[in-house]
Amino acid sequence: MAVKILVIDDDPDIIDVLSVLLEGEGFEVVTARDGAEGLEKIKLENPDLIILDLLMPHVDGFAVCNMLKDPRWARWSDIPILVLTSVREEASRRRYELETGMRMDVDDYVEKPIDPDVILERIKKILARKEKI
Amino acid sequence: MRYELLYEISKPVIAAAGVENVLRAIVESTAKGTGAKGCSLLTYDPVTKKLEHRVTYGLSRKFINKGDVLAESIEKEVLSGKVVVVQNASKDKRIQYPEETAAEGIVSILSLPMRSKKKIKGMLRLYFAEPRKFIKEEIEFLDSIAELSGIVLEKAEQHDRAAKDADLAMKEVVKLSKERENFIRFLSMVAHDLKAPLAAVESYLKVMLRGATGELTEKQQQWINRSIQRIDGMLELISDLLDISRLETGQIQTELQTVSWSKVLENSIDIAKGLAGPKGIEVVADIQEPLPDIFASEIRLGQLINNLVSNSCRFTPQGGHIYIKAKVEGDNVVVSVEDEGTGIKPEIMPHIFEDFFKGDKDAPESTGLGLSICKRIVEFHNGKIWAESPVPETGKGARFTFSIPLGATCNLPQFDLPKEGEMK
Repeated sequence: MAVKILVIDDDPDIIDVLSVLLEGEGFEVVTARDGAEGLEKIKLENPDLIILDLLMPHVDGFAVCNMLKDPRWARWSDIPILVLTSVREEASRRRYELETGMRMDVDDYVEKPIDPDVILERIKKILARKEKI
Repeated sequence: MRYELLYEISKPVIAAAGVENVLRAIVESTAKGTGAKGCSLLTYDPVTKKLEHRVTYGLSRKFINKGDVLAESIEKEVLSGKVVVVQNASKDKRIQYPEETAAEGIVSILSLPMRSKKKIKGMLRLYFAEPRKFIKEEIEFLDSIAELSGIVLEKAEQHDRAAKDADLAMKEVVKLSKERENFIRFLSMVAHDLKAPLAAVESYLKVMLRGATGELTEKQQQWINRSIQRIDGMLELISDLLDISRLETGQIQTELQTVSWSKVLENSIDIAKGLAGPKGIEVVADIQEPLPDIFASEIRLGQLINNLVSNSCRFTPQGGHIYIKAKVEGDNVVVSVEDEGTGIKPEIMPHIFEDFFKGDKDAPESTGLGLSICKRIVEFHNGKIWAESPVPETGKGARFTFSIPLGATCNLPQFDLPKEGEMK
């Protein structure tokens, strides 16, 4: 069965470009346009990996990260998260830390614009790590 | 002489008692001392041509509020500098409010000009319940009292003016810093909004370049590559603008923590080798341990050194060297980045740390903000940065040196901005 990747991003172009890239590599891609829809899709689709944007209207990526730490989401809390955002890593981590008092515990962090080689390599690494466990 | 004397007397009295209390004391003691029923200081407004009771003693509210006192007949004379005596108010046609004056039980009125230097600011008026005559000496003395009142009033006005000016200046400062804050917020927002579409466009191009949408001709590949480079340049400019707005507003204070200078330098040297290696430039490090820890932004210190190194790389020929040196000197950690490049022309030297200054007009990859960001980072950490070219010891290239005080002081601006990522 194909590996299923959920892309949560409010930018339709980023969703478009990732869908083409990832489907071309044989992944199954499901998408969501904001954090709320993303959380719905997590329950519904039970993806193998989440690619998550941070700055989104309504429920943002920070809130999604935070929500997945909640015990009620324990079933999905092991799904690896790859953050894909235009905000620099240190700034994001710091903001998350300040707001929640916790470390932002994601599996990888990639800055936009998307470099296909970089993102595919990171996805493969995360999936390989998951395989081992 | 009289003015000077009165002025000298008034100064400590006003300082001790305050303007309003002094004026009140003047009217009260003058009334009591002369046996008058009441006393008032009336100030003159040359715009409305009216007189107004500023401080009164012994007069009823009804009498004070009877209506406008116009600068006519008696009042006009007093304001021109004369002392006017009204022996019997009920028979004097010049009285403006005969009925109210009678009802108040006023018979005689003495009006004296209230001078301050050469200007007449109003009048001192004494109201008597019986017909009253005044001898010359009495009038002269009361004239001094009137002048003293004028001087005190002048002081009050100066004080009011100064308070008003200070208030205006304060408002202006608040307005300016508010405007600056709004502008930086705007800049930050624009930068974020420019970044997203550029990132989307570049993402499309990179996926296309990979052949995900079909084979590309050589020319298409070349142009897409060129487009990506141009977008990268724009993204770099935007991230420089964001850095400046963060530095200007102190948003980077959340990045502050105890940082090891040795670690910062070690990381920076690694990155420098990564930058210089492919260009055939050798990085030579001379770090004189031990170096202390500092309360600082690790990211910014790294960015500072890397900006300097990447400049050096740009101007140093293949086979050249870049020297990174660091040591403790007195109360500072001093770090220098030295190259064997083309050096800095003396005529541009004074401008190299300015925003958007480009030393090399033909370098499209330069945003003109690199060194100005370096300067801001150094200043944020209370340090200094300077450049030398050619390097005195070698006679070639350029050397940038910054010194940052040991310990834990940072320059933090006073206003709060939204945190990174709250702009959307």
